[in-house]
Amino acid sequence: MSAGLALPAAPAWRRFAGRRLTLVVGIAILTFFLFLSVAGPLVAPYDPIFQDAAARLQPPSLAHLLGTDNFGRDILSRVIWGAQIDLQIAVIGVLFPFLIGTTVGTIAGFFGGIIDAVFMRLVDIILAFPFLVLMLSIIAILGPGLGSFYIAMALVGWVSYARLIRAQMLVLKGSDYAVAAVSLGFSRTRIMFRHLLPNAIAGSIVFSMSDATLVLLSGAAVSYLGLGVQPPVAEWGVMVAEGQSFITTAWWIALFPGLSIVCLAFGFSMLGDALGELLGVHE
Amino acid sequence: MSASVLSVKDLTVSVRMDDSPRTLIDHVSFDLAKGEILGLVGESGSGKSLLCRTLVRLMPSSLITIDAGTVVLAGRDLTRISDAEMLEVRGGEIGMIFQNPTSHLDPVMRIGDQIAEGIRYHQKIGAAQAREAAVEILTQVGFPDPIRQYDSYPHEFSGGMRQRAMIGVALSCDPKILIADEPTTALDVTIQAQILALLMDIRDKRGLSIILITHDLGIVAQTCDRIAVMQGGRLLEQGPKRQILARPQDPYTINLINSHPSMPDQATGPAARDENPRPITKPLLEIDDLHVDFRSGGSLFKAGAKTVKAVSGVSLQVMPGETIGIVGESGSGKSTLARAILGLTEISSGHVTFDGIDVGQQRTAGLAKLRRETAMVFQDPYNALNPRMTIGQTLAEVLAVQGKVARLAIPGRVGELLDLVGLDREFAQRKPRSMSGGQCQRAGIARALAVDPKMIIADECVAALDVTIQAQIIALFRELTLKMNLTLLFIAHDLAIVRNLCERVVVMYRGEVVEEGRSDEVFARPKHEYTAALIAAIPDIDPDRPLLGQKASGSVQSILPELPVKRMPS
Repeated sequence: MSAGLALPAAPAWRRFAGRRLTLVVGIAILTFFLFLSVAGPLVAPYDPIFQDAAARLQPPSLAHLLGTDNFGRDILSRVIWGAQIDLQIAVIGVLFPFLIGTTVGTIAGFFGGIIDAVFMRLVDIILAFPFLVLMLSIIAILGPGLGSFYIAMALVGWVSYARLIRAQMLVLKGSDYAVAAVSLGFSRTRIMFRHLLPNAIAGSIVFSMSDATLVLLSGAAVSYLGLGVQPPVAEWGVMVAEGQSFITTAWWIALFPGLSIVCLAFGFSMLGDALGELLGVHE
Repeated sequence: MSASVLSVKDLTVSVRMDDSPRTLIDHVSFDLAKGEILGLVGESGSGKSLLCRTLVRLMPSSLITIDAGTVVLAGRDLTRISDAEMLEVRGGEIGMIFQNPTSHLDPVMRIGDQIAEGIRYHQKIGAAQAREAAVEILTQVGFPDPIRQYDSYPHEFSGGMRQRAMIGVALSCDPKILIADEPTTALDVTIQAQILALLMDIRDKRGLSIILITHDLGIVAQTCDRIAVMQGGRLLEQGPKRQILARPQDPYTINLINSHPSMPDQATGPAARDENPRPITKPLLEIDDLHVDFRSGGSLFKAGAKTVKAVSGVSLQVMPGETIGIVGESGSGKSTLARAILGLTEISSGHVTFDGIDVGQQRTAGLAKLRRETAMVFQDPYNALNPRMTIGQTLAEVLAVQGKVARLAIPGRVGELLDLVGLDREFAQRKPRSMSGGQCQRAGIARALAVDPKMIIADECVAALDVTIQAQIIALFRELTLKMNLTLLFIAHDLAIVRNLCERVVVMYRGEVVEEGRSDEVFARPKHEYTAALIAAIPDIDPDRPLLGQKASGSVQSILPELPVKRMPS
């Protein structure tokens, strides 16, 4: 065997293990945050909104592992309580756009013609505005709060899913098994949802994972701007916003909630990668 | 034709997966003489393509390695030289052409530049000289207007011309050896005949040695000097063409030769059914002056849409229980005709009457009847089955939707259907991707039978299968039509298959029926010159019946204008 030929290929088991690793890490991170959001009240050492005037701006110590903020609230407890809200933001903020976008994309792609044209122009209109600007205007109209954020997210976020699914449907509806289904007398609803959608949806599921990261960050951004979760509720975005003015003197206030956002986002993207492999999106 | 240019000894290639190496090429040895065409025959998965890729060390995965053996080219062992030296060999000494010219030509690069690129790289000459050389090569591979066509892009050419361009790219550096991997499989028979003639012509002019990989023994019989038969990574036998074809030693080779569709097929031929003429009844399917036009180009805001006539003025009568072959090249409108009959494509004008109901006039009733009494079998067996459903689910769904079988009886009926198409009952649990092409096609036929149809339309349903599998599927169709009194419309581009299966044959060309008649008569005495050309272009397994009657490569082109590239509107 020549030297040039023996390319140092990764052994099969290591590639397999590597693939498994992303799945395991992704699930582990998400389970950890899920645990925090469920058991948060039990494991958090302090009340997240209790203000201890004597312990203001304390650096991390044994009493306050992640330090305290300018109101003397324990950062660790607030981060733990925040998991509940941020996980909720990620899940609900993805679920509704996913459902709306998938339905619209399926119908537009399958029927084509005027239905497709109308929906796709709507998509173009929404995409013509910068994402956050549109979000903020909708929230501003509805009034600040988490509910408004979810509604804004559903109104704006579905477009990516609609486009993804529509493109897949356009390809799949020309496939032989779709033609076969028509020739066998299957109803349109059956062909759309039972035959084509399951084959079209894998890419969207994977995308929804990276979208969860995006939603989480926009949730944090909206809260940071004071339009989402309202103080004193512990939410990571709000905490980062509050810690901003102390960043040079009390770095821990903004750092730990920020790290939590990064961690949760990382978990979602790991799971997204692993799902992509499992569902055969990259094949 | 004496000294060997390439000598392969005990070449062994294996792949390492899950820690256990699996041998893909098992101690293969052969010699290639100067100016010789060696036919490498075998079915998909036999390792013939891998073998040739190994010769130039272009294995598809880095997990595949050469374990033993030598490949000696001009005194050098190609398995031992450095990667840099290998770059000189690829293209310079050994040129390659592939099955699908569309995916192997760079779509955004001019045809001429793709040829000139290799010349400039290997011969280190200037752009102007390379351009001249490329134009010269374009002339040699049969481009009628090389100076202008130098600047054309691949998509502007038909499949046959693209394959010519690929040959041009391979020849650009004046290699000693040309490896042609299924170069004509994607082409129509008449175009295939032209490309094979071109390869032989180049061999004669340049003294090139060619390794021709193919699954079609007919091609080998027509073009090669020697034959090597591969199966499961092993070279079963090799020898001069006539010796192998006349006296095959290995049982696999014998089977391969017997399954070739150009072999006359007596006992079970369609003629057997003609002995008892069926009583004259009403035709099951009547097509009257059918036109199907597609609009292409133009849009809402832009006038000037062109209409493409896919089917123009086809009339046909099909009696119950008849087996009819519809033959034509790509673009002849045969698939569109099939879809129009089944109501899957809009009819522009004319009538399709199925079992007494005019589908155009009574659309709802007609379609309902068509859906319950006809079924279709498709070309690509993998694409025709929903990849996320098991075969059992697929069949059960059809039975449930059609409602002809009681709900409780469905599992039993699924089993019966699998028996009918010769699949084990355990296939009900399998998904298409864990099955072979032939098995998938059987499942596709089972799905068609689940409708309990009066008529089945099979659209190129064996074109994607290996010859021995093709023969099995044809035999299955023959058995089913006899057993169940099915009416079969069998669409194919391969005349030989149709001859053995169908009583009547309809030849289509550019959307029109040019000839129609009993199979044996059409084959024996074709009336239309297109039919005659089509029959002459079939590579016969008998080397003494040469392609197109003679070796003149120009004659076919004069009969047949180049057909446009196939674009099937969805």
